[in-house]
Amino acid sequence: MERPGPQPKKEMQAINVTEALGEFQQIARDPAAAVKKAASEKIVRVIGHLPTDVPEELVHSAGAYPFGVVAYDRRQISQADAHLQTWACSLMRCAFGMALSGGLDYLQGLIVPTICDTTRTVYTIWKKVRPFHFMENFLMPRQLDRPSAKNYLLGEMGRLKARLEQFTGRKITAQDLGNSIRLYNRHRALLRRLFEFHVRHPEILGNRATYDVIKSSFLIPKENHQELLNRLINALEQELLKLKTGREKTRVRVILSGKLWEPPALMDVLDEVGAVCVGDELCTGWRYIANDVKENGDPYVALAERQLARPPFACFVNKKQDRKDALLKKVRETQADGVIFVHLKFCEPENYDYPYLKEGLDAAGVPTLRLETEVGNVSLGQIKTRVGAFIEMLEGAK
Amino acid sequence: MGTPFCTSALLKEVMADYYARGVQAKERGIPVVWVTAVFPVEIVYAAGLFPYYPENFGALAAARKTTEKLSATAEARGYYADLCGYARCGLGDAHSKEHPVGEITRPDLVFCCNTQCGTLQKWFEVAGRFYQVPYFLLDVPFIEGASTTLIKRYLVEQMHELIDFIEVYTGRQFDFDRLTEVLSLANEACRLWNEILDTAALRPAPFGFFDACFHMAPIVTLRGTEAAVAYYRELKRELEERLEKKIYALPDERWKIYWDHIPVWPRLRWFADLFAQNGALVAVSQYTHSWVYHFDLERPLESLAENYAEAFVNRGFDYRVERKIGLMRRYKVDGFVLFSNRSCKPTSFGLYDKRSIIARRTGLPGIVFEADMADQRYFAEEQIREKFRIFFEQLTNR
Repeated sequence: MERPGPQPKKEMQAINVTEALGEFQQIARDPAAAVKKAASEKIVRVIGHLPTDVPEELVHSAGAYPFGVVAYDRRQISQADAHLQTWACSLMRCAFGMALSGGLDYLQGLIVPTICDTTRTVYTIWKKVRPFHFMENFLMPRQLDRPSAKNYLLGEMGRLKARLEQFTGRKITAQDLGNSIRLYNRHRALLRRLFEFHVRHPEILGNRATYDVIKSSFLIPKENHQELLNRLINALEQELLKLKTGREKTRVRVILSGKLWEPPALMDVLDEVGAVCVGDELCTGWRYIANDVKENGDPYVALAERQLARPPFACFVNKKQDRKDALLKKVRETQADGVIFVHLKFCEPENYDYPYLKEGLDAAGVPTLRLETEVGNVSLGQIKTRVGAFIEMLEGAK
Repeated sequence: MGTPFCTSALLKEVMADYYARGVQAKERGIPVVWVTAVFPVEIVYAAGLFPYYPENFGALAAARKTTEKLSATAEARGYYADLCGYARCGLGDAHSKEHPVGEITRPDLVFCCNTQCGTLQKWFEVAGRFYQVPYFLLDVPFIEGASTTLIKRYLVEQMHELIDFIEVYTGRQFDFDRLTEVLSLANEACRLWNEILDTAALRPAPFGFFDACFHMAPIVTLRGTEAAVAYYRELKRELEERLEKKIYALPDERWKIYWDHIPVWPRLRWFADLFAQNGALVAVSQYTHSWVYHFDLERPLESLAENYAEAFVNRGFDYRVERKIGLMRRYKVDGFVLFSNRSCKPTSFGLYDKRSIIARRTGLPGIVFEADMADQRYFAEEQIREKFRIFFEQLTNR
């Protein structure tokens, strides 16, 4: 898939896949650099959020740059220990630890979606010991199927809008929000296109590369990301033309279940063993790009409807969307050979769903593997061995 | 725990009667409804349904030291030891053939209010699926500072949804007059319970936290019935009698202590002895002070919504600090103990900072200790004993 070339970076026609991907990898590796660059490019207010249930469109329409706080500086986890028990999930400990060590000082604000006990509680400690100038909860309903949920969510969107306006000193007009919604819709459509390309041509666009692109999209302004994304898709399509088809052997197809793909090296392992991740339930994966906001009608209603219709997630109760059924459907549609559960240690919501999902998959004859991982403290060797053995088993069964 | 209370025999009768009515309910076709501790059970009683508290089952199983046995069954099904101990007891029992503390009562309906935590939301969701019965989540957004009209409206709308749900299920119209009666009985029981708790402020006191943990069953389960009112009248009468006869909780009360949160159930006696040996009366805890409701009979649903949504379990950092300090001052305590409970993230996260803030503001010695309310595998006896030894030393040296 690599074809090193000395072409100049800026020329869209000439860029190759490796170069185009390098930009995304660079962002994912050092998100702070991207924020600082954006800040110097006159985008003044950077508002962080914990991915991915905050309506970024709303933050964007307030003229701010929504930055998804992902656990990238793993060394800072222990910074949180004086304030937070070590049996909080490592994702939250890492985010909080980064803030405590000054690693998030470039943010002017932070929005925390209240999805679980840890987000609900750590928000209050964080606000007490290391507050940002602007710090808000996004208090979503956690039952999504009754009429009261939508009414309340609309009210909560209105509250967040008012707080954002107060902070930025800028009124959010329906037109602003409409523009942001269209930008985000176009961007999600591009990411879905990229994902489909990855599923069809993992030999050109591997797992790590694909998910790095999705992750990097929380980290830089969507306008910039979209530009890079267009360039990447262009390079990928050119690459495809050059490629002789038919040589690639059929890869083992897996689905990832869980909240996020930690540690990132998990994706490298899947690449190494020749498996392709054909779908996922992850907040930092498909769930981020799965559905769009309606572009006609009241934009707040449209934003609320998107939130309520997002793919199932352990933290929300939605009788209209059974998570097991959705997962089985995904397995069928993607013709996946197996499912890997990627569970962060101490994440209670995911654990409560696990036996139910596993039983459903067992009954349908779908092999599964469960990995319990932590941000920053993980035995990669063990993951390699277990994933390797699992993929080998699936290969044998094909 | 000094001279036994005569009322204890009555308590056994009252609770035996309650459980017998659960069995009768099954026989007579009265729906058994699982409810959480902070759920507007008054609606369930007013509808003529039988409320059952799985958390009580967890506490009982824990106090009888059967958590590890029940948990082993849950763990074998994929519910791991990092989950709440109560939930593991409940789920373990559901999947067991053996029932060391009697089988958990099977529900016809599962009602959950997530004001306490997201763990209950998941545990009850799992239970609804396991027993194949309808699940209703009363969803309460987190209240960081003051409550809002938005939250109140959301709650009242959900109360109506709940009542509609019950009406459809039972085929009977909901009786609002009956609700007023139930609320009035709940008010009376709460009033009596708080008067009883307040006797712990007397020096020396006839009643303390460990007594309260024993006598709290009716306020939790029978709030809204005649039985609870009658029971607490009797207990109060006995306390007055004891005061006259100078029978105190400790023969030599030297100090009063604030205990944050729930007991370590399998170590209830261990802690009671430890404090008694040191002449320290645990006088007060926010846990036993959870049942401080006061309902406005003129606006029953609004009042239920306010009382349950605004309970301390659903409040932010500052509110909780004020609540703790308020109780410490009211009971004039000499020191405080904060229990960092692995089974309960919402009450435990934040305690490290709260300890130093409270110590600074009150000048009282105070400690945080780590354990689990149900699972003794997380009880490091020697470390805890040492921590308390230093604590008692601090009290002596003040």
